[in-house]
Amino acid sequence: MNNYQLMIKADDKQVVLERILQVARYRGFLISGIHAQVNTGTNIGTIELLVRSERPIELLVDQINKLIDIKEVKVDNSAPQQCIA
Amino acid sequence: MATEKKLTGGSLLFNVLEQHGVEHVFGYPGGAIMPIYDALYDSNVEHFLCRHEQGAAFSAVGYARASGKVGVCFATSGPGATNLITGLADALADSIPVVAITGQVATSAMGSDAFQEIDIFGLSLACTKHSFQVTDINDLAKVLHQAFAIALEGRQGPVLVDIPKDVQLAEVNGCLDELVSLKNKVKLPPANVGSAIALLNQAKQPVLYVGGGVGMANAVDELREFASITGVPSVSTLKGLGAIDPEDENYLGMLGMHGTKAANLAVQQCDLLIAVGARFDDRVTGKLNEFAPNAKVIHFDIDTAEINKRRVADAAILGDLKVNLPALAIPLSIATWQGKCQQMKVDFAWDYNHPGESIFAPAVLKEVSDKMPKNTCVTTDVGQHQMWAAQHMLFDDPSNFLTSGGMGTMGFGVPAAVGAQVSRPTDCIVAVSGDGSFMMNVQELSTIKRFQLPVKIVLIDNAKLGMVRQWQDLFFNGRLSETDLADNPDFVMLANAFDIKAKLISKKSEVSDAIEDMMNHDGPYLLQVKINAQDNVWPLVPPNTANDKMMEST
Repeated sequence: MNNYQLMIKADDKQVVLERILQVARYRGFLISGIHAQVNTGTNIGTIELLVRSERPIELLVDQINKLIDIKEVKVDNSAPQQCIA
Repeated sequence: MATEKKLTGGSLLFNVLEQHGVEHVFGYPGGAIMPIYDALYDSNVEHFLCRHEQGAAFSAVGYARASGKVGVCFATSGPGATNLITGLADALADSIPVVAITGQVATSAMGSDAFQEIDIFGLSLACTKHSFQVTDINDLAKVLHQAFAIALEGRQGPVLVDIPKDVQLAEVNGCLDELVSLKNKVKLPPANVGSAIALLNQAKQPVLYVGGGVGMANAVDELREFASITGVPSVSTLKGLGAIDPEDENYLGMLGMHGTKAANLAVQQCDLLIAVGARFDDRVTGKLNEFAPNAKVIHFDIDTAEINKRRVADAAILGDLKVNLPALAIPLSIATWQGKCQQMKVDFAWDYNHPGESIFAPAVLKEVSDKMPKNTCVTTDVGQHQMWAAQHMLFDDPSNFLTSGGMGTMGFGVPAAVGAQVSRPTDCIVAVSGDGSFMMNVQELSTIKRFQLPVKIVLIDNAKLGMVRQWQDLFFNGRLSETDLADNPDFVMLANAFDIKAKLISKKSEVSDAIEDMMNHDGPYLLQVKINAQDNVWPLVPPNTANDKMMEST
């Protein structure tokens, strides 16, 4: 089981967080931790998502990128592989 | 451009629909969508009342697939909305542009477990490309424009817009925004044409693997030009049927679980697989790590997420097929391979000789195919009849064969035929169904009756859930479990109850005249074709097996 940390930027739109979580679960990634906040000035949400899976992370990155409200998805290889409170 | 006239949300909806060229919608009214149905009264949009919201959703899918336009369906809140879900899931799996409008309880009642309240917005996440809930009348027009843009752009798909009743009733300035086009938020990398051309030039035994994306991209002409210039032997997925001219000497038919022997053997032997708008679905590949084991892969697609999803591509060509296919259309020297493929096509041609007097479904469907007029659109349900239709009927365009590919939804065929007939009123529409599937949306015969749609229904009747029965026989030691449908209704009497002319045939000698009668009848017609309950679909690649290890009979 591999751990990955994703850094996601998204428009602050309805249920965007639910969409990301649904895609992660459906595509076979267990969620170890999440931290999300919105910049009220820009209405851009920043989501740090820690997931684990046997599957390659590119599979999840590509699928999250397809969501309409997503602006950017990056895999943070430098982040410590632990749950974010 | 703004107008000063005040509009209700319901009226604004129809203005936007008309702005997007929507002429027909499919739906079913109810409490939480009554303001929209009230506004319908004054609109120029023609509404087709279906008899179940699932029928409305499938009719919208059939309409979209047959016409290339966006299909639109309406449902009320709660059960009306949940009844749409199977149709939306079907549209998502097969990338069909549909906009679904659902009524919702008033915003003040939302979240209170109100009568006919369901969180359809939440339920939609897994079965739509995108969804909206409009809680402010000032957002409605913009959201509706976005819904159409999202449904159509990139990889197409269904979009749901949930509109609470008070928003439908609220008034707003009738501001008809300019139609907007979404910008590609993900910039596609430049197509890797150079490496793909190198792979093409190196290939001695290439195969073109054609999927439903070709029709979606409106790239049939470009694909045929590519096939003609390169001379590459081609195979098709279920959803790709019609993209390649079925009479093309290098076309080998459908591949996969029930594909032709020639198509599957060619793919297994090829050294280059050129996937065009196809996604290496499990029903196509069989055992994935033994699929086309010697082949390099060039993968054309509009969806970045399909590249390397199930098979690593040696060259990925992302973007519009209409642009990218011509860029790789170069002549190849593959005469020996072409000859081998053409010989396999001859050696493994279908055999329509069938002993006895019982009717052989493949022969019936071939004869229907031979006798149907040009531009006939065929829909199917799901099961044995679907595979026989795919194997034995010929289609000259993807929009002429509508079948539930990804989702495999029984009950698709008749309502999809309703949508197809509405979109193409002068074309012949044939729904090929099975006795199991037919009963799943049989209420849509009432829609056919109401609008006097001249749909021809060919009902292949083995009084079984035939495909499940076949698998129980082959893979579950013949333990037949809940697949007997001997208590089916009298289908001729049932059709007659909806004022639909119908006929039952059970002997080979009756087939030709019955097909002639059906095709010559002006109105709707149901032809019930009784077949042997033990007839199987062949060939069959067993589950988790390589495609060259197909079963051809028991």
